Amino acid sequence: MMKKIKIINELGLHARASSKLTKLACTFTSDISLIKDQNKVNAKSMMEVLMLAAGKNTIILLEANGPDEKEAILGIEKLFIDYFGEGE
Amino acid sequence: MSTFNIHGVAVSNGIAIGKAHLISNALLEVVHYQIEINEVTNEIKRLSGAMNEVKKDLLKIKKQLLKDSSDEFSAFIDTHLMILTDKNFSEKPKKIVSKDRCNAEWALKKQMDFFVRKFEQIEDEYIKERKNDVIQVVERILKVLLGHPNQTNQVNSESSTILVAHDISPADALQFKNHQYAAFITDMGGSTSHTAILARSLNIPSIVALQNARELIKNNEKIIVDGNQGIVIINPSKDILEEYLVRQNLWGIEQKKLSKIKNIECKTLNNKNIELLANIEVPGDILSVKENRASGIGLFRTEFLFMNRKELPNEEEQFEIYKSVAKSMRNKTVVIRTLDSGADKLTSADTTISSNPALGLRAIRLCLSEPQLFNIQLRAILRASRFGMVKILIPMLSSLSELRQTKLLIQRAKKSLSNDKILYDNNIKIGGMIEVPAVAINAEAFAQELDFLSIGTNDLIQYTLAIDRTDDRVSHLYNSLHPAILKLINTTIKAGKKYNKEVSICGEMAGDSKLTKLLLGMGLRHFSMHPSRILSVKKQVLNSNTQKLESASAKILKTKESENIETLIQKINQ
Repeated sequence: MMKKIKIINELGLHARASSKLTKLACTFTSDISLIKDQNKVNAKSMMEVLMLAAGKNTIILLEANGPDEKEAILGIEKLFIDYFGEGE
Repeated sequence: MSTFNIHGVAVSNGIAIGKAHLISNALLEVVHYQIEINEVTNEIKRLSGAMNEVKKDLLKIKKQLLKDSSDEFSAFIDTHLMILTDKNFSEKPKKIVSKDRCNAEWALKKQMDFFVRKFEQIEDEYIKERKNDVIQVVERILKVLLGHPNQTNQVNSESSTILVAHDISPADALQFKNHQYAAFITDMGGSTSHTAILARSLNIPSIVALQNARELIKNNEKIIVDGNQGIVIINPSKDILEEYLVRQNLWGIEQKKLSKIKNIECKTLNNKNIELLANIEVPGDILSVKENRASGIGLFRTEFLFMNRKELPNEEEQFEIYKSVAKSMRNKTVVIRTLDSGADKLTSADTTISSNPALGLRAIRLCLSEPQLFNIQLRAILRASRFGMVKILIPMLSSLSELRQTKLLIQRAKKSLSNDKILYDNNIKIGGMIEVPAVAINAEAFAQELDFLSIGTNDLIQYTLAIDRTDDRVSHLYNSLHPAILKLINTTIKAGKKYNKEVSICGEMAGDSKLTKLLLGMGLRHFSMHPSRILSVKKQVLNSNTQKLESASAKILKTKESENIETLIQKINQ
């Protein structure tokens, strides 16, 4: 299952946002990846997410494969929409 | 053994004499060797063991942090923990051990180099910097592997030991806190580095930015750290050593005397309450604010939030920091100064290089020309205002129209918060920095429209005398006792008195104990200074009678020559 997501928070996937994303991703059993351009990284690894260096307004592809893929995509998408809980 | 000196930036005062304790850079000690196939399992076990130990260490530090409630470092420790438990970080080196038969240290270093190379390709400056976190975590694991996890434990606390390091990471800083080092000196760093903050909070001398101290100083060598002048003397001769023992002694006696007056109420002989506040650069400075019993924070500089990064700090990040300071000061004043730097520090703003940056687009001028950026900071300050006694201070005002515009923007920020149903202190006090001579001359007009005035003497002197203090060729002309400067300060104090508005000085003059009596005589009642200056100024206050000082100060104000002013000041200090 895949979903296109736009990064809208000011700082993009910086350290704090990456760590929130990783922590959430680890709660699902599905394999979850983020894809930007040709780079595909494991969403359960903070180092990989951080090194994706996805800034504000980047469009990324969220991919999940597994028994809870639907929940995973919904949950992670919500994190992006909520500006990672950082306010605008 | 020859004597030689090295110079750095003094970030914490005092004098220490002792033996150098070099904290090794574990990365330099890594040896590379191939292991036999039957050793692979053991080598991997050794690596996992070291990682587990570091994890336990970090968790312990984190727990301690929560107890000490200095949550400033907590985010760093969290990042380190996340890196450590990341499979990419922890599993790959094990694969390298089994595949390439590298020893554990080598495998770890290989994987680190791989990460560092990748981080270096990233354009985002902030994310790029995270490579240092990876290096610091690797360092910790290496230290465990090399068999000296806590080198600091070997330190004999009875003899004076001086820590010589390349740099001090936040996690190191917390560990060193519990050891009795006499001083910290490092190759890297600046006045807001972890080393500096820690040294100030421990009240031990510290010099940073020594460039190559770790190469020049050998372990156990005798060194003198003069944290008052920023000099490290290696292998001092007998004469120098004796001279410094005397100086150290005098400094110690002075400090001891000063610590006795810590808890005494800050009142003059004729019973006038004098408020001594602290200037801080980063939230971590609060430790020394409390240690020196400042009655509040008279100047919280917010520039650190905007420096050395590519993206500007958002409202939430600023709010959390302002809130933490307001909360930890409880009901004591916290004056937050809005951004006081030039456009060169901000990436989003146009960075046309001006030939005269001190007179260019900076401070409130910059904020008024970038209302969005200003609005974010104002909202963050306003939101923090309900967690303590927060006041707003506006830097570098030069005209009433700027002030009115600023107040309008504050009104708007309040309204937007009300619309968002977010609480704030509606009666928040708004003050202005008096640092442009035009404003000091016209102080009455500003006193009428502001809640308080704060004289920034450093810039006031620079602008009044037209002297760039950082230019060595003219810096000797910089003179805080120029009659024109004293006049401007006096005009401002009088204006505040007339309209019943608090006036404080937050420049270096406030922390210079030689000038305390003069300023008291001129009618100043609020001083804001570096926390380390508070007790020596307090000592002067306790020995002063403002009534008697009035006539002496009046006489000084009439004096035309700076030299004569100096003589008269010496006289009132006797």
